[in-house]
Amino acid sequence: MQRQKVDAQPAYVLHTYPFRETSLIVEAFSRDFGRIALLARGARRPRSAVRGLLMAFQPLELSWAGKGEVLTLMKAEWQGGQPLLVGQALFCGYYLNELLIHLLPREDPHERLFERYSQMLGSLGNDPAGKVSEPELRRFEKALLQELGYGLTLNVDSAGTPVEVDAFYAYEIEQGPVRQEQGGQAVRGQTLLDLAAENFSDPRTRVEAKQLMRSLMAYYLGGAELATRKIFKELQEL
Amino acid sequence: MTPSSLEALIEALRCLPGVGPKSAQRMAYHLLQRDRKGAQRLGDALLHALQSIRHCQRCNTFTESDICERCASPKRDQKQLCVVETPVDMNMMEQTHAYQGLYYVLMGRISPLDGIGPRELGLDRLLARALDGVVEEVILATNYTNEGEATGHYITAMLKPHGINVTRIARGVPVGGELEYVDSGTLAQALRERRLCSP
Ligand SMILES: [Zn+2]
Repeated sequence: MQRQKVDAQPAYVLHTYPFRETSLIVEAFSRDFGRIALLARGARRPRSAVRGLLMAFQPLELSWAGKGEVLTLMKAEWQGGQPLLVGQALFCGYYLNELLIHLLPREDPHERLFERYSQMLGSLGNDPAGKVSEPELRRFEKALLQELGYGLTLNVDSAGTPVEVDAFYAYEIEQGPVRQEQGGQAVRGQTLLDLAAENFSDPRTRVEAKQLMRSLMAYYLGGAELATRKIFKELQEL
Repeated sequence: MTPSSLEALIEALRCLPGVGPKSAQRMAYHLLQRDRKGAQRLGDALLHALQSIRHCQRCNTFTESDICERCASPKRDQKQLCVVETPVDMNMMEQTHAYQGLYYVLMGRISPLDGIGPRELGLDRLLARALDGVVEEVILATNYTNEGEATGHYITAMLKPHGINVTRIARGVPVGGELEYVDSGTLAQALRERRLCSP
């Protein structure tokens, strides 16, 4: 790989790991380079210029240099405009970051997804009480799958027939909606069409769309259990 | 060939943060060659500390007795409980001389992406401590990081239903801070959290 130098790249920190005595490994999502790992030398020193700056969910501009698996962070600048996340919104932010860490391949640019992520954080930060908009979250999950090349088929069933509002379907990864005789574990045609149109006004659609997305994410995560989901569950059990 | 006890020492020293194989080797040679007395003291102190230091049953900080001096002191206000992440944070709070209540030291923070949740942090012990019937206010002095905020949120959700008042230390421009030198993140948040002035 060629040695590269990147200046003032819009990016978000997804997670940081302590490295050696005073450094950090920064997992970041950048606009033009996708998910990258950066070594932030001395970032844990008390007077480090980037200490406190390398915080998740805040828009930054990062500059780095180097080649290979881990690049060296040269500079980080705070961009602002994004309120700190609180409450449920904060936990939702962690969920998004965990999805990105698991599903985004390294150094694979996803500019549109970057924009969606940025908008999603904006919407999460806008509620002073930290409430999460479920429809926004569904739109983001759908866009994420689309960007990764796992776009959903929602308007046509596996037989090539248009999805019907009153029919029931089982969603199969390879085939899309497979029409079912009875309800059971299936989703309503209405839910699939609503999800296609991103219309979440029907409460049943909201419930079914959430379940459908959860099972799809579980599939693409390849059985990896999300730490954020486990902790979110513990929070809701209170 | 390195004697096996020397090898074991080098390996053992590597458990210290930031100590790789090279510095572990340097430390081991130094202790054995130049400072055997120091090595003896280090070994004794380590063993002694391991045997006598445990967690205070009330505040969870390090202590040599079941209940630490601070928790046992009649001078402290039993109605206030300040939650901090580490013993160092507790010392910082003490240095303010502005707080007379008691503490609970979490010895960590919730960090979802590191798999550290309420269970790993043992927050049920904090719940039991806060519900002793005397505590009226729990003051959250966790860090102003995402993890500190997540920890605070969880504790609030856990304690509120039990009728405990939960407060959070304020954040903003530091005392003596000139706006010119305050970082933009702090200033932006201070602006968002501005309060009404009363004459
Ligand atoms: Zn104590």
